Amino acid sequence: MAEVDFERRLERLFGEASELPDAAQFAERVERRLDAGWTARRWLIGAAGVVGGVVGASQLMMSNVVQRVETAEDSARLLSSGLTHMTPRADWMAALSSGGNIVWIAAAMAVVMMGFVLTRVIGEI
Amino acid sequence: MPGSRHSRFASLHDVELCTHAATGERRAFGELVRRHGSSVRGLLRRMGAQGAEADDVAQDAFLAAFERIAEFRGEGTFAGWVKRIAARSYLRRLQKERRIGALTAEQVDVETGGGGGDADGRIDLDEALKVLGAAERICVTMCFGAGLSHQEAADALNLPLGTVKSHVKRGLDKLRTRLAPADGVALEGRRGNG
Repeated sequence: MAEVDFERRLERLFGEASELPDAAQFAERVERRLDAGWTARRWLIGAAGVVGGVVGASQLMMSNVVQRVETAEDSARLLSSGLTHMTPRADWMAALSSGGNIVWIAAAMAVVMMGFVLTRVIGEI
Repeated sequence: MPGSRHSRFASLHDVELCTHAATGERRAFGELVRRHGSSVRGLLRRMGAQGAEADDVAQDAFLAAFERIAEFRGEGTFAGWVKRIAARSYLRRLQKERRIGALTAEQVDVETGGGGGDADGRIDLDEALKVLGAAERICVTMCFGAGLSHQEAADALNLPLGTVKSHVKRGLDKLRTRLAPADGVALEGRRGNG
């Protein structure tokens, strides 16, 4: 029993620690190192994002995306007119008739989204 | 404003601060460092690390804790968790620098008379720990300061379990003698680890 009591007292003694005089400076040093690591990480992520964006953009350019979109637009028009002949006209058909516009709107939204992400990354940096 | 952020975090419990830190909030973690930095550094000094070395290891331990904060589930105390990380980190450093063998082989026979208390009858643990050999001090501090089991300490020290138990027992015997109240004064911790 005395053994257990002594061990508990010892644990308590180990648990008691006075605040060192430079405790605040120590905490600041740790925070600075955390900040430095975080900044480096953000630069790395930002750089990876820029490289990825450049690669993605170049791939889009090289794959004649504009030409493909125009083809898709023509196809959508053709499909729309075919369906109009087959079935009674409905509201969603009207939307489909401007299929090419939908593609452009989606592309514009993607650009806006990329811009948003870019501004966030720049803001973080 | 950093000051207002600090004061906002100052009122939070450790577990809440850990939750904030897990989302990447470094100021919340800074508050944890402010609260427990001294006890972690004190533990390392008690294990035998010198001032600057103890601070280096403590910093590394806190950085490692921040990286692994999601692993802390609040089952024990945050301070205990970081202390275990710091103790293991210090041992790895000793092993890397091949100092651990010399320390564990070292046997220090110091006069183990009683009277570790100061003028007020309080007991200074740090003074008492000086009586212990390096291996005994490390083993006792790991088990009673960092809260490791004998087996965990043996694994961390890469020593047989029996050897660690022997070091702990010898260390406790010496501490018991040293910390025994000379005239019935209750054992009381003196707040000092410098």
